[in-house]
Amino acid sequence: MPILVQIEALRKQFGSVSALDGVSLSISEGEWIAIMGPSGSGKTTLINIIGGLDTPTSGHAIVGGTDVARLDEAGLTRFRAEKIGFIFQQFHLVPYLSALENVMLAQYFHSSTDEAEARAALDRVGLAARAEHLPGKLSGGEQQRVAVARALINHPKLILADEPTGNLDEANEKTVIRLLRELHAEGHTILMVTHDAAIGALAGRRIELAHGRLAQVTATTL
Amino acid sequence: MFGRLLWRLLQGSRGRLIIALVALISGGAVISSLLNLDLDASRKLTREFRRFGANLVVTPQRGFAAPQSAAGASIPGSEIAGSGAPALMDQNAAMAGIEAARAPEFVAAAPFLYVTARSAGTDVVVAGAWLDEMPQIAPAWKIEGQGISARDDLAHCMIGHNVASQLHLAPGATLELDYMQRSVRLAIAGVVEAGGAEDNQVFVNLPVAQRLAALPGRIQLVEITAAGNARAISGYAARLAQALPGYQVRPIRQMAQAEGDLLARIQSLIVWMVALILALTALCVLATMSALAMERRNDVGLMKALGGSISRIVGLFLAEIGVLGAAGGIIGAAAGIALSRWMGQRVFHAPISARWEVFPLTIALMIGISLAAALPLRMLGKIKPAVILRGE
Repeated sequence: MPILVQIEALRKQFGSVSALDGVSLSISEGEWIAIMGPSGSGKTTLINIIGGLDTPTSGHAIVGGTDVARLDEAGLTRFRAEKIGFIFQQFHLVPYLSALENVMLAQYFHSSTDEAEARAALDRVGLAARAEHLPGKLSGGEQQRVAVARALINHPKLILADEPTGNLDEANEKTVIRLLRELHAEGHTILMVTHDAAIGALAGRRIELAHGRLAQVTATTL
Repeated sequence: MFGRLLWRLLQGSRGRLIIALVALISGGAVISSLLNLDLDASRKLTREFRRFGANLVVTPQRGFAAPQSAAGASIPGSEIAGSGAPALMDQNAAMAGIEAARAPEFVAAAPFLYVTARSAGTDVVVAGAWLDEMPQIAPAWKIEGQGISARDDLAHCMIGHNVASQLHLAPGATLELDYMQRSVRLAIAGVVEAGGAEDNQVFVNLPVAQRLAALPGRIQLVEITAAGNARAISGYAARLAQALPGYQVRPIRQMAQAEGDLLARIQSLIVWMVALILALTALCVLATMSALAMERRNDVGLMKALGGSISRIVGLFLAEIGVLGAAGGIIGAAAGIALSRWMGQRVFHAPISARWEVFPLTIALMIGISLAAALPLRMLGKIKPAVILRGE
């Protein structure tokens, strides 16, 4: 499969703290990668840089042929809108927008809105009946499913999921994992940060970070 | 989607936005009422000043001296005259020149010839004029009895209130005027109460005064009433002076200056008050927007993470505050016009008309002040999505 993400000697410094220290790796299209490691090992920093939310101190992060490190603010904004789908541990939905509008918000920033398509995305995650509800009226699992629908709506090349099940109970965790499996099966490339070894084991490859360095890469055979 | 987002934003922060809206409505109401008062007061004041009489006087170029009474007293109201020997003008030439230079400001003109005659052993100032023009030249006159509506009525006169008292005369009585062995008997049509020098004068049609003075076709001055504010009248006077070489055209200074000074003071006061209220409204909106910008840091960070450009996000917030400004302006302008009408009745005892140009002006001011007060939104541009998503 062609390479979708190419990381070369990536470093990120926060003052005197080195969050990433020369990380290099490549991810092929359609892969499901789990990034694991203890707190402070640089997992979130790595996916933030790959997702264009942060910029590296040095090195390259080439995603779909675009070197994220060389993009300016406007370029990063377009990059995030067009190439990345984010799923966050804290869901991060806009509280005064309904589930449907939260999904349409991603469409709005990408290009133009299509309410029918946004409803279909919510239907896919099992929330067709909750489309008009505000996030405050949804359970944690439902909110995360809205976030999954939002991440999918613009058909991104890469889905970045930062602890997507970290705040969920077991039932909702299963639902979200099932959704991620479906996405992977459809050919989406998923880069997922997790502390949970069992969830990490679901990915095709596990990358372990320690002190900002690549500690271990393990291929999983299911 | 833009409208949908805008509606949700307005709904989502309605508590804070209502505070800003109340400030904008209050500011808009006071500003609109002041502007309405200012515009209408100028018009009303100009109209009121016009009621006091003519505002321009045309005299011969070298000036003229006030005619002296037999006792040597000068004619009341002759303070407009310069010093030197009496100068007379040709009535036809002067009036033809004024007619030729007619401008939109022109309302009415009347030639005058003053004679100090005697009546019942008393000196009286006889003002010969076109009495049919007097309702426009001196609209504030109160007339007991009848006015004189034709300039060729040579059988009637009007007498000032003081003359009537002094000589015990009333409308319908006969007045005999003597001057240099010439005399004329006139029926008194009405008694004039002007509250000024006119109360001591006798008003006859111009040919009567010219015959009494044996000065046919001669006049001393022309009084002109022009419409408009002090600046417009000065402009008209300057144009008239250019069109009448050999004549002196002067605004009646006391009147023009009093009007100009009063209007300038009122306008200056209103400008300062409007500026102060705009500043206070802006401060109130600024405080609300600062709080709102802080409140929305997370939303903005998330929107940026989802690929929202800062111009698009801030545009959304600016539209929100713009809608608020427009709403404040519309409601405020309507409330302000009602307020100015109420103030007109209560304070000035005169109806203040709604000036519709105040509406768009107030709305534009409120939108402008809202957008200017949205300065804190600048800080949203500095938000780093990664920092917000980390929960910092």
